[in-house]
Amino acid sequence: MEHIEVAIVGAGPGGMSAALTLAEEGVEVAIIDNNPTPGGQYYRQTYINNTTKKLKPHQQEGVELRRKLHDSKIRYFSKTNVWGTFEQKILALDGPGAPPALEAEAIVLATGAFERTIAFPGWTLPGVITIGAAQILNENNVSPGKRVLISGTGPLLVVLASELIHAGIEVIGVLEGSNLLPRAIKHLGALFGQKERLKEGIGSWISLQKHRIPYRLGCSVCFARGEDHLKEVTFCHLDNDWKPIPGSEETVSCDTLCIGYGFIPFNALSVTLGVEQEWDPFNACYIPKRNMFMETNIKGVYSIGDGTSIGGARLALLEGQIAGVAAAQQLGKSKKHPEKYISGIATALSRERRFKKMYTDIFTPGFGIYELSEENTILCRCEGITTADIRRAIDLGADTSGEIKIITRAGMGDCQGRMCSHLIANIVARETNKSLLEVGQFQPRPPVFPVPIENLCLSVDKSAGKMG
Amino acid sequence: MKSMKTTCKYNAEVAVLGGGIIGCSIAYNLARRGTKVILMEKSLIGCESSGCNSGGVRQQNRDSRELPLAMESVKLWENLESELDFDVEYTQGGNIMPFINEDELDFARGTCQKELEAGLEVEIWNRSDLRKRAPYIRDVFIGAKYCASDGNANPLLATRAFGWAAKKEGVTILSNTKAESIEIHDGRVISVTGVDKKGEIVIVEAPIVIHACGAWTPLLSETIGLKVPVQPLRHVILVTQRMTPFFTEYIHAELYGEMAKPALTSSINQKEQIGIGIRPARQGHVHIGGISTPDTFDQSAPADAIEYLARGAAIMMPALRDASILRAWSRQLEYTPDRLPIIGGVDGIAGYFLAAGFSGHGFCLGPIIGKLVTELILDGEASMPLHDFRFSRFQENGGISIDERRLVRA
Repeated sequence: MEHIEVAIVGAGPGGMSAALTLAEEGVEVAIIDNNPTPGGQYYRQTYINNTTKKLKPHQQEGVELRRKLHDSKIRYFSKTNVWGTFEQKILALDGPGAPPALEAEAIVLATGAFERTIAFPGWTLPGVITIGAAQILNENNVSPGKRVLISGTGPLLVVLASELIHAGIEVIGVLEGSNLLPRAIKHLGALFGQKERLKEGIGSWISLQKHRIPYRLGCSVCFARGEDHLKEVTFCHLDNDWKPIPGSEETVSCDTLCIGYGFIPFNALSVTLGVEQEWDPFNACYIPKRNMFMETNIKGVYSIGDGTSIGGARLALLEGQIAGVAAAQQLGKSKKHPEKYISGIATALSRERRFKKMYTDIFTPGFGIYELSEENTILCRCEGITTADIRRAIDLGADTSGEIKIITRAGMGDCQGRMCSHLIANIVARETNKSLLEVGQFQPRPPVFPVPIENLCLSVDKSAGKMG
Repeated sequence: MKSMKTTCKYNAEVAVLGGGIIGCSIAYNLARRGTKVILMEKSLIGCESSGCNSGGVRQQNRDSRELPLAMESVKLWENLESELDFDVEYTQGGNIMPFINEDELDFARGTCQKELEAGLEVEIWNRSDLRKRAPYIRDVFIGAKYCASDGNANPLLATRAFGWAAKKEGVTILSNTKAESIEIHDGRVISVTGVDKKGEIVIVEAPIVIHACGAWTPLLSETIGLKVPVQPLRHVILVTQRMTPFFTEYIHAELYGEMAKPALTSSINQKEQIGIGIRPARQGHVHIGGISTPDTFDQSAPADAIEYLARGAAIMMPALRDASILRAWSRQLEYTPDRLPIIGGVDGIAGYFLAAGFSGHGFCLGPIIGKLVTELILDGEASMPLHDFRFSRFQENGGISIDERRLVRA
């Protein structure tokens, strides 16, 4: 079995940062990543070797990190899923060129987050896509649509709008669910030292203004219509709890609706490893518990970045450094003292944590947004399970996500409930008058990603001879 | 000073411990005959082996003492959906047991003869029958034993359907309540004491207690000084992504030697033999179950087990190579020394009945056991003999008789 000192899962900002920190200390490192090239979602933009376009500062930073990674001795397994664990420090891999199993002395989980979508009537229509999907299409010079409406929450809405405008696509409006001004004032201090973020934000904002694109606060899509493709969208105002206000609806015509209501940490692998989890009340999901050195309750297993708690790329970079220094010291490879290292970056850390707090406070959707789905709205897209199906299961006595899953098949599909877990938990909590903690989330089961039997056989065919 | 815990008191004619298919079926049948029943379950209905098993409803290749129960139970399964008013995805799609060598063929012939005598319709397929009847099974198999009236059901739903039906019949279900002790007075059961999720004490006063806690049975029976010879066993199950359905049968085979060699295993201890069961679920998913790890309550599904089972299944059915494994879990089975269940009372403890130790064959038997145990309690005698399953067999002279060959398949 192949052996490595530290295995890092995920090559986003956190994973790359941890890898480079470890490599600098002379630690033997492998990064396992399911993307074709390193960068994760944040630096994904740098895919395109478009030399004519001037790179944004963070793209430049991504290019720089990737160059360092390339020049280092770090092993990089691309297009590779970590689908499970054999024993606590042996990872099961599935990817071209990757060994079937990799034994590590320490593991850094930098698995990132996935987009939070909200269910409303019509959200499964072709033409309704996530913000991330729109960005990927646009970066690859594929136009996501002709007339685009953006709805959700967070700075990404404005960033996407500006990117689409630059590509010559008509953006008819941006609906920000948060009524952010009153909340933002409290957090003005959190913007201190966030020069790059402010610059990008203001730049995007200016392009919105220049093109007279309406930016509406406290609004959200509530209905999407069309026969076989999106034709029109109805949006409404939200109250302070993000509950739709009846009578405030307006309808616009468009062919594309981009939605994004923040992110949910991807904790499935840490659960599979047996890492102790704690309840994250904001995201209504379990997240890995860890100490100040990013180490979980399992010695030598670290968890960093958005896969643990949504804090953005800058915080992930710092957490990667901390985990790197701590793991290197634990392996006896470095004399750097993790505690001293943390004091050394204390200013940057507290700046990013302030920003994280601000982001969470302003851009976490209120529970009212879950009232958008109607009886026949599909919640679990993989299995086609509607609100009515969930209600029938509740009538049979189900009052936890686990029981709902068993009775209705919701969350049993290919995505393992990544998309619908929070939608269903919120409906169950509301209908049964229970807290989200009591309702819980779908229990992630191995394999973390569907794994082709063919690939399992290949690894065996090689080692055990051709099968009978 | 220790704070006083709140106590909840209930009384019933019968307390059933364990919300698996056995406990739920017993509670349902008792309540239908007008008995006041309280069922205590440590977590939720159907959360352990009754809900997480591979869903086979099988008669063939059972111990000859168990076969009549299975045959009677299948008759009940045939009407179960209308009786419980719930679609439990029961299908009589058949059961195929392909074999790979002459030795197995000889054994199958013998079993087939005995089963035919017992009234079960089974057939032996030779190599060309197997190719014709089940072309999706790899041609390394030289023949098969087949039972058309065997089938499968969705265990998650079937067990719950019994629970819901019991509730409708008036059974009080105390879920998330763990039975911690059984109280005895003057040689008679008087009550069961448990603890619920909030830490509150729950006391159920009942003159009759039915103990159907599967692998956990011995832990509680110890509180009345009874050693029940039931051991835990872990079984791993995988499910593939949806495939276009291409077979209806539950298929079970043993692989030997090179074919059964695990590639990367470290934790799995198999002696170059692996038994694999494959079930076609209603929506096109294929369930693959096997690998028994004895004496553990660990319910994880490690990657080596997933890899080993997936590969074994692809050896049996090449078309599975095109599928992906979607999920894996393990189920908590239990086994007795002779792989037969323990059903009935215990000398010296009036009112205490065991219905445990089903050794991985209990799912199919659920419906009939509910009926028979109800008869045993209300009529004093069951309509089918349960003598072979008496608890006292473990203490008697001569002890138990074990069919070694069948143990492997268990």
